[in-house]
Amino acid sequence: MDKEFLTKTSRSVTLNVTAGKIDSFREKEETTSTVRVYEDGFVGIAGSLGRPDEETLTSKAKDALELRIPYPCALEGELDEGVLEREVRNEKEIIPVPKLIPTMRSFLDRLGEECPRFAFSNKIGLKNEDAEYRNSCGRHLVSSTGRLSINLIAQNRGSGNLFDSAFGYSGDHFDEDALISKFKEQYDAFYKDVDLESGRYPVVFEASDLMGKFLQQFVGELYVAGASLLSGKLGQDVFSEKLTFQDDMNPYSHPGTCFFDDEGCVAKNYRPTLIERGRLVNLLTTKKSSSQFGLSNLGTAVAPYDGVPSLGFHGFYLEPTAESLRELVPGKAIFVVLASGGDMTPDGHFATPVQMSYLMEDGRLVGRLPELNVSGDFFNLLEKDYIGASCGDPLDNSRMCAVMMDVARS
Amino acid sequence: MIRFRNGFYADIREEDRSRTTISYKAGVLDEMKTRVEVRAFVRVYDGRMWYYASVTDTSNIQKTLDGLYDAATENPNILKDPVVKRFERNVDTIMRFKDCSVRDIPAKEKQDLLLSYLPLLSEDSCITMPSGLYLDRNSVFHFQSSLGADITYDYQTCGLSFSCSMAEGEKKFSGHWQKGGVRFDELQGLESQIRSAISEQTNFLRNSVPVVPGKYPVVLSPEAAGVFAHESFGHKSESDFMLSDETMKKEWQLGKTIGSPILSIAECGSVLGCGYVPYDDEGTKARKNYLIKNGVLVGRLHNAQTAAALEEDSTGNARAIDCTFEPIVRMTTTYIEGGDLDFDQLIAPIKKGYFIKTIRHGSGMSTFTIAPSLAFEIVDGKLGRPVQISVITGSVFETLGLIDGLTKDVQLLSFVTGGCGKMEQMNLPVGFGGPYVRVSSMNVQ
Repeated sequence: MDKEFLTKTSRSVTLNVTAGKIDSFREKEETTSTVRVYEDGFVGIAGSLGRPDEETLTSKAKDALELRIPYPCALEGELDEGVLEREVRNEKEIIPVPKLIPTMRSFLDRLGEECPRFAFSNKIGLKNEDAEYRNSCGRHLVSSTGRLSINLIAQNRGSGNLFDSAFGYSGDHFDEDALISKFKEQYDAFYKDVDLESGRYPVVFEASDLMGKFLQQFVGELYVAGASLLSGKLGQDVFSEKLTFQDDMNPYSHPGTCFFDDEGCVAKNYRPTLIERGRLVNLLTTKKSSSQFGLSNLGTAVAPYDGVPSLGFHGFYLEPTAESLRELVPGKAIFVVLASGGDMTPDGHFATPVQMSYLMEDGRLVGRLPELNVSGDFFNLLEKDYIGASCGDPLDNSRMCAVMMDVARS
Repeated sequence: MIRFRNGFYADIREEDRSRTTISYKAGVLDEMKTRVEVRAFVRVYDGRMWYYASVTDTSNIQKTLDGLYDAATENPNILKDPVVKRFERNVDTIMRFKDCSVRDIPAKEKQDLLLSYLPLLSEDSCITMPSGLYLDRNSVFHFQSSLGADITYDYQTCGLSFSCSMAEGEKKFSGHWQKGGVRFDELQGLESQIRSAISEQTNFLRNSVPVVPGKYPVVLSPEAAGVFAHESFGHKSESDFMLSDETMKKEWQLGKTIGSPILSIAECGSVLGCGYVPYDDEGTKARKNYLIKNGVLVGRLHNAQTAAALEEDSTGNARAIDCTFEPIVRMTTTYIEGGDLDFDQLIAPIKKGYFIKTIRHGSGMSTFTIAPSLAFEIVDGKLGRPVQISVITGSVFETLGLIDGLTKDVQLLSFVTGGCGKMEQMNLPVGFGGPYVRVSSMNVQ
């Protein structure tokens, strides 16, 4: 009987920030274990919190075969290089846990001095995750990662708003000076009101904010059902040649991410590819949906510790076409901080309000724009209106992309 | 028996949660499992900081609590702390679902129920990828505090959710329908409701036309109105956002007129459904809280910390999505109260406008958004063709003042998928609803 084993352990420490001060400390640790067994085209799954006896869990998984959940057995052995084992550890200590509170107190005090009209709140956290995958074909993968996340929302004192801007960082190092400098640039621009005539402009989004709205169109099941805007276009050059779109499972460019998926799949450069130089080359699939619909398995599945694997996505990676934002969009552009609530009609018209944005000139934020509405057509946005993507911010590798959109005042 | 120490406040929240998931995709069994987890969340407060830990092995609660005590600083005056003074000392047991627990229903019976409805999804040729989901949850909560609170209560939801991809030529639509309840027998006999919903959605696929963007009168269904109330104003009523800025209390002064005189928005944790919270996660008893009454700001939502900071009373709104997170200020069941019209009277004066029947999602800050799923024209006071709308938006405060008609009937809804997200805590079950609501102008795209 074919078998696979997955164990994950996560440890996190999270600080809550209210009015720029730390007011709580939360510690969590959790280990989960999963066994999946395959027989006659069915899967049996057993999962548990903690590390139970493997034989007991395997026995429960065998019992679960009685549920007769169809799932192909597609276990993989050797990796591309002909080896069975791989270990990737990107787990350097970013800040020792006992020093997290004093370090962040000092950071928040400095931030408060630099940005006195903002009241900061939300979370700062350190998280480490270990994962181990083994199967009866001999594949053995081990991942160990860690990241620091700083997610602060800022209220402009007296605005009456839930929040007015957001400052974020996720990465595997802490550079206080660089973060303060980055946040300060936004802060300074926030208090310079600028305006913009309605029209067409380059609009700069974080890759996840734009591509996340379109991800549904890449779902394999919708594709074969004819219900995706992309249906029938696999293998075709439908997008801009400048566009390469991947799931970033590379822990060096996307700290905190495991390099293999929950079915033990490992992609080249740890980045499974959906669009390659404008060509739709893959769809979002699992081993089950790829087998069911005759598609390739993308290798990005996620699975609850006691459940069947399902579609997953880990990080939005767009191949850079420019070294910097200045090179990507010389001249005027709209830099989006917050665009929430938008969506796409069934025929591909995308529209979203932009609650918070800055006017950018030659890569520098020069002032805060009023609330805007931006819109465009799905295919145009990723084809003739796609401008490109910049190299990651040197601070945290976040990918920014730019598209031409119709822009109107709210 | 938990040993609490003097000089600190502490509480322990345990949840024994059973959750069944059964799903089919394109007629094939995709998932079938029942997960039972027991977890606890431990909190210690010393008057300056909170210390939290999540526990999966409940035999370690005392050890975990002692570890948090060691990290905190003893405070002989802790009982005089304004936050601690707000904690209630309730002792109660409320077991509403003992005689109808979904734990007692065999998984096979749940599977058969789901299977009985699946053929309805394949009756129209345009449906290409039908999927069905059965979900239930039964939880038993136990809350204890160092002040002597000791509360046990249960919580239950169950429901069905169906979705399908529809495609015909170049036309595409993603159809959805779901029904949530608190008893398994509420999920039986739904054939005509499901068939009617599918028929409406296939009609939408075939006959909907793109909207011409602009500002129009809009009528919101109870579903859309409930989401509007939740997103546009409910989140603004969560007082934790007022803690960071000392000017906020003045800005959000109770007694200020902020909406149409016909508008009242209420919030209550004792309503059965997804948002049922008879005692919140700090042990505070649920109560009905008006946020807006006749257009006037009359209340807001609190946990003990925000109530103390704003010198107001706790409201029973401290909630966490599970025992891996601390409770923060959240909604329970939020709804707009009814008016005096029926539906035909509500749409009669509209020459050209839109009716939003179902929605995909909503969000709210100073500008709210609602992404409709099914929407229809209103022309000369009558419902017309289905229309494709990507998003409707408006300024929250402007729109609250533009509500000029409400129907008498109020529907409160419970969904079993999705939920409310706030910062790191996503998919909290909440109830919502209202009457049909007419807004004289909204931005439609």
